[in-house]
Amino acid sequence: MQAALSSFWRAAFSDEPYSASRNFLICAIVYLILGMGFGLLAALLMSSPDIIHGIPQLAFGRLRPAHTNTILLGWLSMGYVSCFYYIVPVLAGRKGLWSERLGNLTLLLWNIAALGGVWGILSGYTEGREYAEINGPFDWLVLASLLLVGVNVYMTIFTGKEKKWYVSLWYFMGALFWFPIVYVIGNRAFVQFTGLNDAISGWFYGHNILGMWFTVGGVGILYYLLPRFSGNPLYSHTLSMVGFWTIGMFYAPTGTHHILQSPVPEWLKAIAVISSVFLLIPVLTVLTNFFMTLKGKWHLMADHIPMRFAMSAGLAYLLTCIQGPFQATRGINWYLHFSNWVVGHAHMALLATFTFIVFAASYYFVPKITGRKMYSRALAIWHFWLSFLGWIVMMLALTIAGLIQAAGWHFALPFDQWVIELQPYLFVRFLSGIMLIAGAILYALNMYKTIFSKAAEPLPESPTGIAYV
Amino acid sequence: MQPMPHRIQNYLIAAVFVVLIFLTIIFVTAILPATTFQPEATVQGAYVYTAQEAHGREVYLREGCVYCHSQFTRYQDREPSGEMVEAGDYVNQTPHLLGTERTGPDLSNIGGKYPDAWHWAHHMQPRAVKPGSVMPSFSYLSHKDMTDLIAYLQTLGRERELLARRGVKAEGASGHDAAWEKEPITWIEAPQEMRDQWARIAHNVDVNNSAVANSGRGIFMQNCAVCHGVTGRGNGPVSDAIAGKKPANFTRPMFRAYKDSMWFWRVKEGVPGTRMPRWERSLSEQQMAYLVAFLKTLPMDEDTPSSKIEVTNYSQLDNPELLKGNYDEIGQLDELHAEHAARYQGGGRH
Repeated sequence: MQAALSSFWRAAFSDEPYSASRNFLICAIVYLILGMGFGLLAALLMSSPDIIHGIPQLAFGRLRPAHTNTILLGWLSMGYVSCFYYIVPVLAGRKGLWSERLGNLTLLLWNIAALGGVWGILSGYTEGREYAEINGPFDWLVLASLLLVGVNVYMTIFTGKEKKWYVSLWYFMGALFWFPIVYVIGNRAFVQFTGLNDAISGWFYGHNILGMWFTVGGVGILYYLLPRFSGNPLYSHTLSMVGFWTIGMFYAPTGTHHILQSPVPEWLKAIAVISSVFLLIPVLTVLTNFFMTLKGKWHLMADHIPMRFAMSAGLAYLLTCIQGPFQATRGINWYLHFSNWVVGHAHMALLATFTFIVFAASYYFVPKITGRKMYSRALAIWHFWLSFLGWIVMMLALTIAGLIQAAGWHFALPFDQWVIELQPYLFVRFLSGIMLIAGAILYALNMYKTIFSKAAEPLPESPTGIAYV
Repeated sequence: MQPMPHRIQNYLIAAVFVVLIFLTIIFVTAILPATTFQPEATVQGAYVYTAQEAHGREVYLREGCVYCHSQFTRYQDREPSGEMVEAGDYVNQTPHLLGTERTGPDLSNIGGKYPDAWHWAHHMQPRAVKPGSVMPSFSYLSHKDMTDLIAYLQTLGRERELLARRGVKAEGASGHDAAWEKEPITWIEAPQEMRDQWARIAHNVDVNNSAVANSGRGIFMQNCAVCHGVTGRGNGPVSDAIAGKKPANFTRPMFRAYKDSMWFWRVKEGVPGTRMPRWERSLSEQQMAYLVAFLKTLPMDEDTPSSKIEVTNYSQLDNPELLKGNYDEIGQLDELHAEHAARYQGGGRH
């Protein structure tokens, strides 16, 4: 027992290279299962509201923010940091981070923040601002963790031997510079406005946690992965820089498109809609760069599981970023707002794009870190198909449900009539949730078996990582 | 001092430039509105919550009502959800509860639309009063939380609706007028005397007047008799063809307990999950009041459900025996309703 504990502490506060990356990933996967579980329960409650009864912690109104916050701050953010902690030292020409110990300490802080915040939401301590529900004290911990991650990543880059910074490093530095600012403005623990201004800053956060953190970080990770997977050099460094600066320019003001028909100032709405449409510039430059980088290597997808995830993420990113500007324009928003269509759109971005990016990256770097092949290729294939098909089913169900709902509002049907019409689609969405969580459990099993295996089997030589899974 | 290497200098210029632009954008779109956008409070916006209502608002926030209910009306909402909101209505609304998805109706004007007892029943088991709703049951709320939440809900849009009803322009708001706090704004919420007064004066309808009931007869014949039958036994010509729940038979004893307000509310809101429409969408309040007057004259002293489909015979209407009225008002229906809902809360859909 004592030996097990001490080896746990050694692993949790180790300073060996890439230990922080590994530990972040392990925790992130726990939050993935937890967050998907909350989402699944919430989906179940939406299709059969009486199935859980009289338990405040498991009421829909608390499960939904628990789901979003666990996924956003637990799974995705920690998964991103795990990827940063592997990719940044590699690109900066260092063995391991500037300080692995600091990385592991950050992980401890972050865990306290995420667990405490989510426990608080379930128990009714909520800030009540969408996607920023985590309560005051835990907001401070999240901010502290973010700043520590930022210090570690910046110092790793500055102290690295590589002086020519690859584009991914720009993206990571940007993400870690922007996100703390967005976090401070968006959380009521730091900045407080009254009335509609509260809504404006709330949606500044609500959209920019996506734009300035998940998009910037995720695109950076893909910029690292795709040339690695394909063995091709990056198609255009210039295009990647155009994408980087325009994301910075056009993402920040878009938040108001979430409250486009509320009585906030018209000039703000106009800026939001125009910048939403201008987002097509970074999106199309980034995707052109991705797809041109893969030129001649698309067939690799047949065998290369991480690349399948990366390509699906690219596809979903294309779809979601065409859909986004489209539904942010006033005419379309007029019709589609307030419906489940938007929920489908959010899942396309956070599930099919950014979650898949972390899947792809982890299947690539976990063998590198542990020096072992992934435990099972079959599990990885099942994981891919369950996740991919689960996402397609969920997207279709929510989109159709959203169109019914929008028609309900606009043809003035009584809402209690069209809610009945939504039931089959909400049930199908629940089924798709089962597929997704099943995939995630297989992924967790695969990672567990790989990371905690004692077997010392030499990793096959494979620059593209195709032989790792 | 040693000059900086050229490469670092280039990076620095770019970095400072970009950081400045980014901070400017953030400032303009997230911070600047807080200083330039300061709308003047409307009467609704100047409303000051009592301690009870403020706590109710916290419960609303805590239980995540905002994830399914919005609190702003839009021009495109043809579903009647009341008067349009203005920026000044939200001056005291911190944290904001605008909402971003509607799985349920907009709540910006819900105050006064339903009686407290209805809200109570609805929160205990939503499907008891709204079949087909997917709202969670909030039966776990404490008595205080529930009371306060309902008190808060009853404030939503009340001032705004009141102004609109009186035809007063929403300008020159001067704080909260204590006299309005007590005054209910819908027919349903009003105490009996006020309701009678409104029925006579506001709608020019006295629901106990036989001439008014006679006016309601025509409305009933045109709109209701096809399902409910000319004598209200629920055996109109198409009643047989209706799938699911059959039209109500008004001769059943439970309808003796219907107060005027309950009749009016039923007619106005319809019965969700059945073919009974919301008559507020096609009838005026006055017409609905006429209809209530007529419904009160239907015979309600029989307990013999009719199995025969009625052959519509309009001459029956002239038979005074058929239209012997029963004007008893046992009352307490709201309480009965709540008790029913509380008792059957685990029963799933009705």
